[in-house]
Amino acid sequence: MILNHGMLSEKAKQQHVKAEDIQVKRGIILDREGRQLALNLDLESLYCEPEILHLDNKSVKKLASAMGEKPEVILTKIPAEGKFAWVERKLEPRIAERIRGQNIKGLGFMNEAKRVYPKGKLASHILGFVGLDNQALEGLELQYDRYLSTRGGKVFFERDASGRTLSSGVDKEVRGNNIVLTIDEGLQGIVEKEIEKAIAKWKAVAASAIMMDPFTGEILALANWPSYDPNNPRKASNFEKRNRAITDCYEPGSTFKIVVGIGALEENIVRPDTLFDVSKGGIEVGTKTIHDVHRYGTLTFKEVIQKSSNVGSIMIGMRLGKERIYKYAKLLGIGEKTGIDLPGEVSGWIHPPERWSGTSLGAIPIGQEVAVTPLQILRAYSAIANGGFLIKPHIVSEVTSPEGQLIYSFADNELKHIIPAKTAEIFKEILKSVVEGGTGENASIEGDEVAGKTGTAQRIDPKTKRYSKEKYISSFVGFVPADKPMFSLIVVIYEPKGQIYGGVVAAPVFRDIVNQALSYLNIPRKNIPYETTLLVAR
Amino acid sequence: MIGIGRKKNMMSFLFKPLCIALLLFGQFSLIWLKSNVVTLEYKLSALEKKKAECIKERRMMLAEKAGLQSFVGLETENNGFVLPDRVRVIHVKRQKGSLPYKVSLTKKLLSETELQR
Repeated sequence: MILNHGMLSEKAKQQHVKAEDIQVKRGIILDREGRQLALNLDLESLYCEPEILHLDNKSVKKLASAMGEKPEVILTKIPAEGKFAWVERKLEPRIAERIRGQNIKGLGFMNEAKRVYPKGKLASHILGFVGLDNQALEGLELQYDRYLSTRGGKVFFERDASGRTLSSGVDKEVRGNNIVLTIDEGLQGIVEKEIEKAIAKWKAVAASAIMMDPFTGEILALANWPSYDPNNPRKASNFEKRNRAITDCYEPGSTFKIVVGIGALEENIVRPDTLFDVSKGGIEVGTKTIHDVHRYGTLTFKEVIQKSSNVGSIMIGMRLGKERIYKYAKLLGIGEKTGIDLPGEVSGWIHPPERWSGTSLGAIPIGQEVAVTPLQILRAYSAIANGGFLIKPHIVSEVTSPEGQLIYSFADNELKHIIPAKTAEIFKEILKSVVEGGTGENASIEGDEVAGKTGTAQRIDPKTKRYSKEKYISSFVGFVPADKPMFSLIVVIYEPKGQIYGGVVAAPVFRDIVNQALSYLNIPRKNIPYETTLLVAR
Repeated sequence: MIGIGRKKNMMSFLFKPLCIALLLFGQFSLIWLKSNVVTLEYKLSALEKKKAECIKERRMMLAEKAGLQSFVGLETENNGFVLPDRVRVIHVKRQKGSLPYKVSLTKKLLSETELQR
């Protein structure tokens, strides 16, 4: 018979049973080859118990020196009263060791998980970042948070009078699911390096580039400049953190000519050899006159696209009519989100025909009065590469449990057959001619054929609300090898200085990326010489 | 008859001490087992701490390894890792069957007429 059994056993329990939070480790993010892009480290966070802590000047200086901060800063972190306060979260191990070595009473350490991106800035706009408490804030970390994170809880274990703990048999850690991306670290590195070079060369304001498999929609690389280090997101500005490949619209300029081109072919308004008299060098539409960059005589439909004649494109647009231009624009995905699994994608816009003005027919066929994202344009051109299918771009390939079990896999792309293969084939030949003898010559590579289109578009000056004469967007979009595409690629350079044309600014970047990417992927050249064979010893 | 009676007396005489001994033995066994269990729990707890330390170190090294293997870090001319110029790469078609154990450059076979000349 024990008196006050209930109360005493409860008191005993309070003394020798301790509760601890189960650590939640976010799942690892891997590239398509299994290379780690985001993982977790176990670090120690420093806390203080102000009621017990008594720091003299000497201790404060020692502590400040160990933490690499000024004594005044340390003092602001330690409140005068209270039972618990963080001093510094997630310290580097060597700093934690230095502080521990000082044996200051009232200071303690707690284990916490820190999210780390070991590749630095690589793929920062794709991966996103987390906050101090590992809460998802951007990018894939946010989009797939329900997979990457999991519920924690508490684990109860016993401890003796001297504070030693007994095993509870319960894992004090739970891990979220892992994510495998479609991104290739090597291709991502190549793309990021080349757009950074272009920025330096043309002193541009920003740049974006996306590489995609045109048959499956797998994004192989997606890069923006400026970039930031997701290990220190607080140091980056909002401008640097923008994933402009999907969040920023721009007027596509001549890359939009795919719409009138495909529409005209499909509606049997033109054939590749249909002639257009563009000798006047300009065309009046309503109150505006639109000019060609160069004066041409008579061009075939193929040459209108090859030489990117604005006059010819507007003529084709006039024959097509605004309803059909709008129809083919929507068919090619203009003005609609692609559905990529990243947060913040915008749809862009194209006004319905009833809202077109008297001059719209002179603007929209040449890619003005339309807003698109680089990904939308890439997807439209990928439809030419893959024989007429509109695919859904995606970044995540599969989600696996910490034990390796498959939880989610990107289902086979729901292919939308938007144009017949024959039309796609005809337009592909035209795009090849753009690179072979047209405005995109600087995108050509040795050993393989490139199909693509240049784009040069004026930006709206926010002050005057009119098209700027100095600020342009240069772009090039294409796919290679033209007949059996390994990937499609778009390069967009915002506000280059000195030169403005897509064929001069963006096309060489495209070429350099493609050369390195094909080499990295070990794709043989089409024109491999077989006259000599090198036999090597085993 | 007397023998059976004696036996019965012996049994009842031994029965109680046996039970007490068994009880005591049982108690001590229980205490000993409990003590062992608690000792094991202490050891397990220590091992768990050690395991946590090892996992922590392993994660550090994995992160370091991932950073060192970064393609961007490797791919510099200073490190000697440069993507080859595709123009200079010759691809050899894999032939079925065993390859000859020699290194040679074989020219395209001359036609008989060229040989006759």
